[in-house]
Amino acid sequence: MTRSDPRGAWMSGALVVALMAAIVSLQHTQGRLEAATPDTAENLLYVRSPAAMSRMALSYDAVLADLYWIRAVQHYGGTRLSTDPNKQYDLLYPLLDLTTSLDPRFNVAYYFGSTFLAEAPPDGPGRPDLAIVLLEKGLRVQPDKWEFAQWIGFVHYWWRHDYAQAAEWFQRAGDLPGAPFWLAQLAATTLAEGGNRQSSRLLWQEVARTGVNEAFRNEAVRRLQQLDAMDQIDQLFQIVGAFQQRYGAVPRSWDDLGRAGYLRSLPVDPTGVPYRLEAGSVALGEGSRLSPLPREPQRLIQ
Amino acid sequence: MADMRIIAHVAINVFKESVRDKVLYNLVAFAVILMGAAYLIGQLTAGQDVKIIKDLGLAAIGTFGLLIAVFIGIGLVWKEVERRSIYSLLSKPLGRREFILGKYAGLALTLLVNVVVMTAALYLVLGYMDAQFTEEQKSVWAAPALDAGMLRAVALIVVELLLVTAIALFFSTFSSPFLSAALTFGLWVIGHFNADLRNFENIVESPVAAGLARALYYLLPNFAAFDIKSQVVYALPIAPGYLAVTVAYGLAYIALLLTGSVLVFTRRDFK
Amino acid sequence: MDAIRTEDLTKHYRVGFWRPRPYIALDRLSLTVRTGEVFGFLGPNGAGKTTTLKLLMQLMYPSSGRAEILGRPVGDVEVRRRIGYLPENPYFYDYLTAEELLEYFAGLFGYPAAERRRRAASLLDTVGIGAERRLQLRKFSKGMIQRVGIAQALINDPDVVFFDEPMSGLDPLGRREIRQLILQLRDRGCTVFFSSHVLADAEALCSRVAIVAAGRLVASGQLSELLAFQVRGWELVMSGVTPDALSQARADREIVNAVPIDGQRFAMELPASAAPERVLATLTASGAQLVSLTPIRETLEDFFMRQVTGAQRSSNG
Repeated sequence: MTRSDPRGAWMSGALVVALMAAIVSLQHTQGRLEAATPDTAENLLYVRSPAAMSRMALSYDAVLADLYWIRAVQHYGGTRLSTDPNKQYDLLYPLLDLTTSLDPRFNVAYYFGSTFLAEAPPDGPGRPDLAIVLLEKGLRVQPDKWEFAQWIGFVHYWWRHDYAQAAEWFQRAGDLPGAPFWLAQLAATTLAEGGNRQSSRLLWQEVARTGVNEAFRNEAVRRLQQLDAMDQIDQLFQIVGAFQQRYGAVPRSWDDLGRAGYLRSLPVDPTGVPYRLEAGSVALGEGSRLSPLPREPQRLIQ
Repeated sequence: MADMRIIAHVAINVFKESVRDKVLYNLVAFAVILMGAAYLIGQLTAGQDVKIIKDLGLAAIGTFGLLIAVFIGIGLVWKEVERRSIYSLLSKPLGRREFILGKYAGLALTLLVNVVVMTAALYLVLGYMDAQFTEEQKSVWAAPALDAGMLRAVALIVVELLLVTAIALFFSTFSSPFLSAALTFGLWVIGHFNADLRNFENIVESPVAAGLARALYYLLPNFAAFDIKSQVVYALPIAPGYLAVTVAYGLAYIALLLTGSVLVFTRRDFK
Repeated sequence: MDAIRTEDLTKHYRVGFWRPRPYIALDRLSLTVRTGEVFGFLGPNGAGKTTTLKLLMQLMYPSSGRAEILGRPVGDVEVRRRIGYLPENPYFYDYLTAEELLEYFAGLFGYPAAERRRRAASLLDTVGIGAERRLQLRKFSKGMIQRVGIAQALINDPDVVFFDEPMSGLDPLGRREIRQLILQLRDRGCTVFFSSHVLADAEALCSRVAIVAAGRLVASGQLSELLAFQVRGWELVMSGVTPDALSQARADREIVNAVPIDGQRFAMELPASAAPERVLATLTASGAQLVSLTPIRETLEDFFMRQVTGAQRSSNG
């Protein structure tokens, strides 16, 4: 073959295209088979001990921290999307631990990591205890970071329903330099009437206003909408009760309530999805972003 | 079609060069490391000695091979052009394509000899260790010491090294050795994190970023696929067809790089 | 059939990385070398000789124009079986011995092992390094490498050989041996195409020459026919020259200048019009003895200088 041989050039071009196609399809198959291979922990983690990892990372610890952070997010997101009923987030904490050991000031990893860990199944592993361990680790490196202390209080409040602990951590956060004034107020409210919607609303309003980034602020807005939905559901439940008292039977649909003059339109939640009415109880509609609604301790107590 | 006899003739000369340049001395280093480790670990004892020797042995086979593949691979063509020994060579009835393929085959042969000898040495050390333990002690091992399944990892290491060689050769047909080495090592490192690109679209919102990650995932050499060291050491199951698909993937990639090398090289002017 | 034929062979490339500018290495070279002749390709360094040879060996691809060897285009692998090439300042694998190198090259022609050994041994003897055949090439001097280079060019008994500066790196004895070798090749019917910047090599060997300067063909033909190289005069050195004889010769305008070397030994310059035989006879009759008689010609270097400045002038004007 010479440079001036057009037939040779065409054949080489065709060969290159064919080989590229083969590579892409084989890579596709390979990826599928790899996903089917059971052992991923070893590959994903390489090393489980954060101390050993820091030593081996030489001067690349920040880069490795980024890498493990991406893996943590992928592990969380991938498991969350998985339809496997027995899914487990068992690598989440080791990955976050490695990330924050390699780069102890990786603040996003503390914020999001603790949120991921605390989230209840099936959307998360439901490990608020580990979320607190992670945040306390961050607080050891940066003791003045009031946001971490606030976040610990938050985990106690929202996921563990331990209002005494929550109030204590909100207070501690409020005492740190640079902390906003409302933390002290929040601590007081939490201690006095922990767990009611009003104090929850106060908590989330502050997050929506001051959250570290947009994802957090969006999440806070969603939580506020949940609180609104819970108020609305209570109201609808009362209407259903009134209907039942008057007609002696539960309404079978919202139309029944409409015809009876109790409702002027189809009731929808704050995201626009209609509520569901089933055997006299009111629930969020199918596919609402707000479900599941948080557990309400007061209901259980009352 | 390419003349196989001529290719073999060039390849044997490359092998001869690597022997004369004392490349195979690395086998001595390998043996020393392996035996030294076996002795030291024997002193420590923890029941996991055989696993550690396997880890170390497989990692050393891959690392020594990688160094040979890169550092000889980048000089294969460049040295001939730079020192002008290629002038008299190409005036003989030897096509440029045969020259490239012969050079590649020669280094492949060198690497193969290397891996075979190292693997034999690894099994020898493992056999020695096997004899040191009672059946009861062996019961805690994840896999027997002389597990033939380990050869699957070795086979994929060979394909990986052949792919590294093809990358180094490709770069050396048009760039300097320093740049070729940097690019080859760079691709090797990136290729090991290739799997992280696969699920990238789950965590990014921008479709552009997701598309880019996906394109890179398919185009960059997926070196992580060739690493099944931990699976064989723990005797974990490997999906059926995994080996065949991965080997086919490696060979297709090598074929692409060699085609590219030939295309670049046949068009070059030697000024 | 002609051994070598080029038609408007042209090579230009861009030089410089940041601001590339075109550089014409060879400009429309057309020449023909007949089978069986020793052809000298002459020119100063940088004239385009090596470029031409690389184009003929397909180490470079021409920008335009054509080249044929033995009636086939240069890219043809069959052509390679019948030619030999010695690159300028050759270099070979220094980890091989001279013998191994030649056997390696012989293998590229597909000769069986015994034949490879026979050819390697006989050629190393021919170029005078038979005794060092088992020595690694890294221990070879420049002149020895040059001889290995000539041997490898002849490994296949070629019909046409291309030598790029075959005399470089050789001592006077070596140069004479190579000259003899080239004449032997010619006697066997082999066509020899060699480049040189030394006129004496061409005079001793060539039937025809081509002269290139600045990438262009300046002149070609038989050396003796090229006007520029005709005799401009003679230098006669004699001893025992008497002052009478000397003044007589001056008076006859047969010598234009005479420089005493020592005692009665003189270096005399004769004009081109003089017949050196008659001056020699006259002076010998007066008792002087001949030391040497040398024709004075324009040297290749003078010629090149004139051509190069001429080429520059024409390109500027």
